[in-house]
Amino acid sequence: MSFTQGFKMAGKSISANKVRSFLTMLGIIIGVAAVIIMVSVVQGSNRQWKEYYESMGTNRVNVWANMWNGDDITDDLYDYCLSLKDLVIGVTPNGYYYGNIKYQSKSTEGNYEYGTPSIALGSDLYSVCNNFTLVSGRDISWLDVQNYNQVVVLGSKLKDYLFDYKNPIGEKISIGGHRFTVIGVYAEKGGTINPYVDYTAVVPYSMNRLLNRSNTFGDFTIKAKSSEATTEVITRLTGFLTGLIDPNYGYFHVYSENTWIEQEDEANRMMSLVLGGIAGISLLVGGIGIMNIMLVTVRERTREIGIRKAIGGSRRSILIQFLIEAGVICGTGGILGILLGFLGTLVAGKLIFDLILMPSMPLSIGAVAFSVVLGITFGMYPAVKASALQPVEALRAE
Amino acid sequence: MKLIELIDAYKIYNEGFENEVRALAGVSLTIDKGEFVAIVGQSGSGKSTLMNILGCLDVPTYGEYFLNGQDVSIMTDAELSKIRSRDVGFIFQGFNLIGTLTAYENVELGLIYQGVRASQRYDLVMDALERVGLADRCNSRPSQMSGGQQQRVAIARALATRPSVIMADEPTGALDTKTGEQILGLLKTLNEEGATVILITHNMDLACASDRIVRISDGIIVEDNLLRGAMT
Repeated sequence: MSFTQGFKMAGKSISANKVRSFLTMLGIIIGVAAVIIMVSVVQGSNRQWKEYYESMGTNRVNVWANMWNGDDITDDLYDYCLSLKDLVIGVTPNGYYYGNIKYQSKSTEGNYEYGTPSIALGSDLYSVCNNFTLVSGRDISWLDVQNYNQVVVLGSKLKDYLFDYKNPIGEKISIGGHRFTVIGVYAEKGGTINPYVDYTAVVPYSMNRLLNRSNTFGDFTIKAKSSEATTEVITRLTGFLTGLIDPNYGYFHVYSENTWIEQEDEANRMMSLVLGGIAGISLLVGGIGIMNIMLVTVRERTREIGIRKAIGGSRRSILIQFLIEAGVICGTGGILGILLGFLGTLVAGKLIFDLILMPSMPLSIGAVAFSVVLGITFGMYPAVKASALQPVEALRAE
Repeated sequence: MKLIELIDAYKIYNEGFENEVRALAGVSLTIDKGEFVAIVGQSGSGKSTLMNILGCLDVPTYGEYFLNGQDVSIMTDAELSKIRSRDVGFIFQGFNLIGTLTAYENVELGLIYQGVRASQRYDLVMDALERVGLADRCNSRPSQMSGGQQQRVAIARALATRPSVIMADEPTGALDTKTGEQILGLLKTLNEEGATVILITHNMDLACASDRIVRISDGIIVEDNLLRGAMT
């Protein structure tokens, strides 16, 4: 008997018992859909988290030190950071000024959506360290820092709020009562996930004296060349600062988002495994359902098996017939499960993350392949039982 | 020409135990090609066991069985199913059609197991159904047909594979007298056309339609009478 014949026979006996076949499939359908939805949702949340960090930029090291005794370590720290030039792409002090920005009659005080903007004080490499790219005008230069130029580069959201579609380059805005000239605009980078990063303005760090009446920085951002370099920078900075700062007079903190991303990745992998595993159990239960129903089928069809054997059906052909039947039930259930899983993933993605979530193709194909293997595995015992029936006894069954 | 040669066959259940049953206790039987033989006996006489062995559904515990010159008594399960598929056509008392399949599909099944290619099966199936007069009912399921029709489908199934021997086990047992006669007539026609037919029954009237009556009792042949001239 050929496989094509086997499939035809399986199709006939499955369609002869439509309701029962569907109910049996239901276990597999739900199992496959559950695996797909669970894993996709976890992957979706992982992706969202990753996108957030990627908008912030990877391979970034933040170092933060504070002296209680009032010692100024700004220059020591900055110089040390700059001395790591083999490992780093850029270094910038990380200063902040809290206040509103005014342009003509418009003020950020009136922006209820995003509130007070974050105004950063940085070097000419601030944009490099924080993953900003320029869309118009020019970036802050080293000369701006040195010459105390009152210039500012705007983030895209802040530019949109203050200027709408007007060209802001060369316009004067007011920060903390001081006049600054807009020299450039950064491209949007946060998207809808992290819009606040674009509601920003960057001024040369030497403006610290003007805006905050201070010359010190305890906070630096370093962009390392690679993830290995990131680790090396953390090690060296920690060593340097341990030697520099007496723990009785101050403290410091060195960290990188890379570590967070790695931890988050690990947590997500665990989550995928746990949730996928739980869903997998429901698939297994579906498989046991298949075995159960196949056993009932074999008992019910004992006479049919006897007839088939009497008219020449071999043990092998009966075995193949029942295995194909179990495989077809599971395969069909698996395919329907994919459809349900896709639908469920789309709905879940929309509801939970408000984004179009798509289950991964290998996962879906894997789930169906697994369910077919499951069907054949669990169908094996009933099929062997059927094929081993003695024709004389099988024919006697009622 | 010898078609069936059973030599001193025993079928013993639970051998060596207290509840030992000797369903066949040394049966020797030779049937030639083209014969129409009736095997008669009371229930429990061993005639069903004999039919199962002759039809290769079972093998004897002791003794030898040659069908078409092949030693069946030493065959494996797979070889037996091949023999059944090629050399034996069964007709049962309870028709034994598969309920989920149409008349056509029931007849086709034996050909599928025989390995006949799909392109050749249609003609063979329709030819067999035509010979039993049911070509127009080929798409009916067993439940949509009368007992007589179902038995004719079963005969068509037995015919279609062109077997060496047709084994009919109480073929009229579940039918009324008139339909039973039709079925018997069909078997006779098949025999006249050259088929070897073995009829297993407890009904002497039925048995008298055959050419030779073999009576079995307590697992041994007690009588073997030729009613009509030998066909060879």
